[in-house]
Amino acid sequence: MRVLALIFIALCTALTPAIAAAQDAAELRRQIEQLQKQLQSVTDRLQRLESQPPPPGPAPATPTVAPGAAAPPPAGGSLSAIDLARPRQPFSLYQQRGSGQLLFDMGIAGDFVGNITQRNVARAGGGTFAGQENRFFPREVELSLFGQIDPYASAVVRIEAGEEAPGQETGVHLAEAYLTLLTLPFGTQARLGQMRNRFGWSNEVHEHDLPWVDRPNVMRNFLGAEGMQEKGVELTLVPDLPFYIEALAGIFNGDNETAFGRGTLQHPLATGRLRTFFELGDEHAIQLGMSVASGQTGDRNRSTILGGEWRYKYRPDGWLHPLITLTGEALYSLRKADVGVDLDGDGAIDQVDKRQRNHWGWYTGLEVQPFRRWAGGVRYDWSQYPINPGWEWAIEPYVSFWPSEFLRFRLAYKHTDRSPQTRDAFNLNDSSARKVDELLFQASFILGAHPAHPF
Amino acid sequence: MLRALRTLLAFAVIGLLVTAASAADKIRVVATIPDLKALTEEVGGKLVDVESLARGTQNAHELEIRPSLMLKLRRADLLMENGLELDSWAEVAVQGANNPNIVRGAPGRVDVSHGIQVLEVPSTRVDRSMGDVHPLGNPHYSLDPGMAPIITQNIADALARFASEHRAEFEKNRQAFLARLNEAMARWTRAMEPLRGAKVVVYHPQWIYLLSRFGLSQAAALEDRPGIPASPAHLTRVIRQMKDEQIKVIIVEPWNDLKLATRVADEAGAKAVVLASMVGGVKGADSYIAAIDHNVNALAQALR
Repeated sequence: MRVLALIFIALCTALTPAIAAAQDAAELRRQIEQLQKQLQSVTDRLQRLESQPPPPGPAPATPTVAPGAAAPPPAGGSLSAIDLARPRQPFSLYQQRGSGQLLFDMGIAGDFVGNITQRNVARAGGGTFAGQENRFFPREVELSLFGQIDPYASAVVRIEAGEEAPGQETGVHLAEAYLTLLTLPFGTQARLGQMRNRFGWSNEVHEHDLPWVDRPNVMRNFLGAEGMQEKGVELTLVPDLPFYIEALAGIFNGDNETAFGRGTLQHPLATGRLRTFFELGDEHAIQLGMSVASGQTGDRNRSTILGGEWRYKYRPDGWLHPLITLTGEALYSLRKADVGVDLDGDGAIDQVDKRQRNHWGWYTGLEVQPFRRWAGGVRYDWSQYPINPGWEWAIEPYVSFWPSEFLRFRLAYKHTDRSPQTRDAFNLNDSSARKVDELLFQASFILGAHPAHPF
Repeated sequence: MLRALRTLLAFAVIGLLVTAASAADKIRVVATIPDLKALTEEVGGKLVDVESLARGTQNAHELEIRPSLMLKLRRADLLMENGLELDSWAEVAVQGANNPNIVRGAPGRVDVSHGIQVLEVPSTRVDRSMGDVHPLGNPHYSLDPGMAPIITQNIADALARFASEHRAEFEKNRQAFLARLNEAMARWTRAMEPLRGAKVVVYHPQWIYLLSRFGLSQAAALEDRPGIPASPAHLTRVIRQMKDEQIKVIIVEPWNDLKLATRVADEAGAKAVVLASMVGGVKGADSYIAAIDHNVNALAQALR
C-alpha cells in the first residue's frame, strides 16, 4: 500500500509541470493569436489610411514631426525593461531643436593627395609637395564648427590635421577661429580672430575647395605653402550703391614668415581689398578685385604685396554648373632685403646692404565643365621668387570627377621648368629639381554640414 | 560730344534718383525663390518691392552665391526664406551683404515654412548614403496650391510686423488672392478628378505635395537616390516598372536632363513632361496661379 502511495505521489509530481506547461502553451498560443489579430487590424487600418487622398483645402497648421524623433517615454516616467532594450533613434544634428541639442553645425572635409615624380626631384625636395614626393598622404582633414553665437554674431572654428612630413606623425593645429559681428551700422561687418585672409581670390579658399590639386605657384612662392593665415581683425564695408563693391581693411600680427614675419602689433600687417562684380545677363558674370598687404619682415624690412584678381563664369541658363570658368591672380612684391656684399672679392661677405627686390608672378586657369560630374581644365603659372633671383613656369592640365556632390577625385599632370638662376635653391643632395614632371592625384570628401561656396 | 555725354549722365543720375525715391516708399523684400516672390507680391501689392535670389529655371537646392545676390540683400527690409534646408545657401549671401535687418535671428528674417504640414519627414536614421536627403522633410511645399493660405498668412504677418499700419491692406490683398486661387482650385480639381489614383514617375522627388493634392502617386524616380545620377541598371528597372504598371508620364524639372527623361519615356512608351518647379520655370508660368495652371494642365493632358 505504501508502495502504491509512493508511486502515486511520484506520478503526481512528474505530471504537474507537464500539465502546467500544456496550460502555459495554450495560453501563449491564445496570446499570439490575439496579437496577430491586433497586428492585422492595425495593418488594415494603415493601408486604408494610405490609400485615402489628402483632405482638400488648406492643410491644417499642425506641428511637424521631428525627423528621427524618439518615441515619448511612457506615462508615469518609469521605463520598463522592454523600453530600455528597444533600439534608440541615433543622434542627429537635424532633429527638432530641443534641450541638449547642438545649436551649431559641424562638418568634416577630408583631402588626400598623392604625387609621383622623378627620383632626382624627390632627392632635391623640389616637388610641389616639398619633402612629400612620391607619397600619398592626408594633406588636410578639417573639422569645421560654425553657427550663430547670438543674434549679433556668428563664429567659425576649424581644426586641421594633416601629415606634414613622411612618417607616422600627424600634426593637428587650429586653422581658423573667428567671430563675425553681423549687426554693425552703415553696412559694415567685423571679423576678429585667426582667419584665412581675404587677400585675392584663392587665399581664402581651403585646400579641398580649390579647383586644382595644389595652390598656384605664385601664391606659394610669395605667401607660403599654406597661404596667408593671420590673427587680427578685418572690417568690411558694402556701401548702399546700385552696383556691388566690397571694401576691406585689416590689421594683423604679421606672422606669415614667407612674406612678413615681424609678428607684433607695434609693427602690424595692414591689409586691404576692393572687390566688385558685374553680371552680363544671367549667363555671364565677372568678379574683379585688388588687394594690398603691407608689413615688416622678421629682419625689420618693409614688405608690401599688391594683388589683382579676376574670375569669369559662363553658366548657360538652367545649367546646374558653369560651363566655363576663368580664374587668375597676379602678385607684385615690393620688398627690402638684406644682401651680403663681397667688397674685395675674397668670397667672404664684408657688409650687409639693404636692397630693393621688386618681384612678381601670376597664374591663370581655365576650366570647362560640359557634364555635371566631369570637369577638365588647365592652369598656367609664371612666378619669380620674393628675394632670390630666377623664375619658374608651370603648366597643369587636370580632370575632376564628382560621383556625388560630396565626393570628388582629381587627376593632374604638372610640368615645372625653373630658370638656370634657381640652380642654388633647387640643387640639393647632388640632385636637380629644375625640371619637374609630376602626376598628382587628389581625393576629397565632405561629411556633414558644409557652407555654400562663394563665387 | 562732351555736351551729349553730360546730358546722358544727367539723365542717368535723374533716373537713378527717381527710381531710388519711388523704391524708398516701399517695403524692400527679397525672397529666396520665385514662388515666395510671387506670393509676397500678391499679399504686399503696391506696398512692396520684391526681388528673388533664385530664378525659376534654376535648381533651388544649389545656387551659386554671386555678389549680385548680396547686392539684392544689401538694402532688404525683409528676407522670405523657404526653410526646411532648401535655401540654406542664402546664409552665405546674407553674411556677404552686411545688412543687419536680415541676419539670422533678426525680425526681418522670415521662415515661411512655419505651420506647414511637412511631407516625407524621415522617421528613421538618414545619412548621405541615401543621397541628398532633406532631414527636415520635403521642402517643396509651395508646389501645392493648398499650402498657399498658410504661406500667405506667414507673409502677411511678416509684412504687418514691419508696417503694422498696412495690416488691413495686406489682409485684403491676401483674401482677394485666395478668392482667385479658390476659383482656380475648383477648376484644377475638376480637371484632375478623373485621373485620381494615376501613377507617375518623377525625375527628382520634389513633386509629392502637388501629386498628393490631386490624388496621384509617385511610382518611382529617375534619380537613383535624391541628387545622385541614375545608373543604367536603375533606369532599366524604372523602364520595366513603367511598362509593367503602364505609367504614362515622367515629370521633369526645367533644370534637369530632359534628354535622358525623354529617352527613358520613349523606351517605356510614355511622355516626359516639363513642369514648372518654381514660378518662371517654364514659359507663361509667370505668376503663382499661372505656374500651377501650367502644371495641372500639362499633367492632365499627358495622363489622358
